[in-house]
Amino acid sequence: MRPELEKVVSEIEKAIAGKRSVIEKILTALLADGHVLLDDVPGVGKTTLAVALSRAVDLSYKRIQFTPDVLPSDLIGFSIYDRESGGFVYREGALNRAGLVLGDEINRASSKTQSALLEAMEERQVTVDGNTYPLLQPFLVIATQNSVGTAGTQMLPYAQIDRFLVRLSLGYPDYEAQMSMLRDRQGTNPLNLVQRVLTRDELLSMQRSVQQVTSVDAVLDYITRLTLASREHGSVDVGISPRGAVFLDRMAKAHAWMENRDYVTGSDVQSVFHDVCAHRILLREQAGEKTPADVLDDLLKTVKNPDHRSLFGGVHKK
Amino acid sequence: MRKRQIAYALWILLAACLFFFENNAGTRVVLFASLLLPLLPDIRRALFAQDQVGSVPRRIIQTRLAHADREEADSGSVRSWVPGDPINRIHWKLSAKRDILLVREQEKGTERETMRRSRIEVLPAPRSGRRAFLFSAVLSAAAALILLLLIPEARSGALALANRIFRASEAVNAYKYDYFPVPENTGILPAAILLAVPLIIYLILMLLSGSRIMVFLSAAACALFQIYFGLSFPAWANILLLILFILLFMGRPLQKRALFLTAACTLLLTLTVMLLLPGPNTAVESASEQVRDSLSRVVSEITGTSAELPAGVNETRHVHTQSLISGDGEASAKKEFRLIVTEEEQISMPHWVNYLKIALLLLLTVLVILLPFVPFILISAKRKKALEERNIFQSDHISDAVCAIFRHIISWLEAMDLGAGNLPYRQWTDHLLRMGLPEAYAADFRRCEFLFEEAAYSTHTMKEEDRRQLLDLLKKTEETMKSRADKGQKFRLRYREWLWL
Repeated sequence: MRPELEKVVSEIEKAIAGKRSVIEKILTALLADGHVLLDDVPGVGKTTLAVALSRAVDLSYKRIQFTPDVLPSDLIGFSIYDRESGGFVYREGALNRAGLVLGDEINRASSKTQSALLEAMEERQVTVDGNTYPLLQPFLVIATQNSVGTAGTQMLPYAQIDRFLVRLSLGYPDYEAQMSMLRDRQGTNPLNLVQRVLTRDELLSMQRSVQQVTSVDAVLDYITRLTLASREHGSVDVGISPRGAVFLDRMAKAHAWMENRDYVTGSDVQSVFHDVCAHRILLREQAGEKTPADVLDDLLKTVKNPDHRSLFGGVHKK
Repeated sequence: MRKRQIAYALWILLAACLFFFENNAGTRVVLFASLLLPLLPDIRRALFAQDQVGSVPRRIIQTRLAHADREEADSGSVRSWVPGDPINRIHWKLSAKRDILLVREQEKGTERETMRRSRIEVLPAPRSGRRAFLFSAVLSAAAALILLLLIPEARSGALALANRIFRASEAVNAYKYDYFPVPENTGILPAAILLAVPLIIYLILMLLSGSRIMVFLSAAACALFQIYFGLSFPAWANILLLILFILLFMGRPLQKRALFLTAACTLLLTLTVMLLLPGPNTAVESASEQVRDSLSRVVSEITGTSAELPAGVNETRHVHTQSLISGDGEASAKKEFRLIVTEEEQISMPHWVNYLKIALLLLLTVLVILLPFVPFILISAKRKKALEERNIFQSDHISDAVCAIFRHIISWLEAMDLGAGNLPYRQWTDHLLRMGLPEAYAADFRRCEFLFEEAAYSTHTMKEEDRRQLLDLLKKTEETMKSRADKGQKFRLRYREWLWL
């Protein structure tokens, strides 16, 4: 991995132990300029991770704890009548000056608030009363969704989940990680130890160079074949969307760049495939005990990867 | 379920009537065998499997379930409550409606679901090997047939074989055949062997492919063969054939379709047999006669030959058939009847059959001429491709060369069964280590794999040095593989080497 990113990872690891792979994936998503959905049980460190990331990278951090009462105007701001000037004045919302937004328990928000957030995520700007206000660059949303205690909540519908670049889950720490976590918390809060190692400009230039990474036709062909196969798979009702294909390419680019390459290979696509695509697949009822992950494994097994000898001479000819 | 049972009962009734009125052995066999269909477990299950619905009329439950919400409907069927069933399984809504306690049956998965699952898990088999096998099988079948035509002993043996079949058929049917002129004491063994080869190959192909179309076509071919030539195999042979075909047909998981398809085929074949062959009953016979006449009229209009029937054929034949069945007819009557039928048979024999025979012969001749050249054509095409690829090794575009050399190395590994299938080459290094290749080799492989990725997926210009590294690895691969190969693999490697020389 690149040394500058290695530094970021080790800083974050000071606050949350034993989650290296998830940290790397979130960084990859950050480099690919996409948003992250953390789907997990409470108390495994979702918030700690986001705070540590905002401290290690120079991002202004905002946290929104969603409840049914949170309104769209809380996020994107609103105009209020100013008696002295006789006109309307725009009051900024939570998103306006945020670089890293932690939307906690997004499934507790009402659906109109959810869509306000998702619109901002997609357009990277907010429009209030006909005026458009751009958001900060870079803008990363880490939304969390609890998979337990979902009574009375609005789980994100498929169309909205599709807008997240990746869906990740942290999972419980193992014995070692939990011991070291308890030990670290004896004195000070380990979050205070995290130091800033990456500035905003550095991050922006990294994002730009990720966009420079090349995906040759062979790789794009592989992505296309994977998505098409997912739509025709026997257990799948709704397959990977075209947006999913675009995101897969983007995430693969970021993954390749993190491994110090400026070109995407089939293995890059394979390594990010599960994180990018598992939440974009709806299974049929007949799929039985199959999970989306099983279907994705099927696809990786059956769809020929671009290295395959039989594909030589087709899209591979430069 | 009940509908299917009624349909089958009706079929049995119809079959019994047909059986009584029809004297053709082939027809009788098909009818009789269709009575035996339910002996096959799959068909029996489809016909007679009971729903586990206690005393509740099924219709009511179906309507209730249609109204009940989806989850309830999905949970499977219901049956009446017996002591010991847990309370939480009781279908309260339905029980309240029917005034008796009903419990849900929880099944792990329906038949359809398991079928779907098994179909998904089957990966597509590699095609090329299969195609090669098919090709060689067809070639050897054709070779056997050609040998049959070329060797005089085999030819006359085949005719003698045909005579035997005619004789056997005459014993059970009201036909007279013109025997082929064959010298006395002709052995039928060579001909039988040469005929058995293509037959066995065809059977093997049918079994291997598991294709229903093939099974159906061969069943139809058997039936049509018997109908057209008026030959009937012995009854037991027909029964065995039918059962074999149905078993093959059922080779895959049962679908409802299959049952109806089999029944429909049997019905169709029976009707064809009845209408095209004479029977003992006047009504059936005249219907059959009309069909045959109109058929031969159509044929004669197309081919321009006249198709006048001898006068009084129907009456004579009916009388003689009756005497044949009752057994008190004279031998001469039998003979006469057969002669009449033979005359008529000649009239309705259409001319295009001859053209068909000529076309088949031409096809065979072309095959015979091409046969010796086929291996050379195949191998020279392969060699040409190999040489083209070899030229890329020295191409000016080094990245092309690197890709080609690395793919060639991969093909070496695959020839030694060391390939890791559809895994990216990046993961092959670990696989090679697991397969017991030396660590030094694996390290080299990994280094070259990175070079390959750079060449295949980036726009970088590669260095001459990179090509040299790949060529080194190729040499090492060849040496390593040769030292590891067992006898069969050695042969394969030698063939590859020769191909690439």
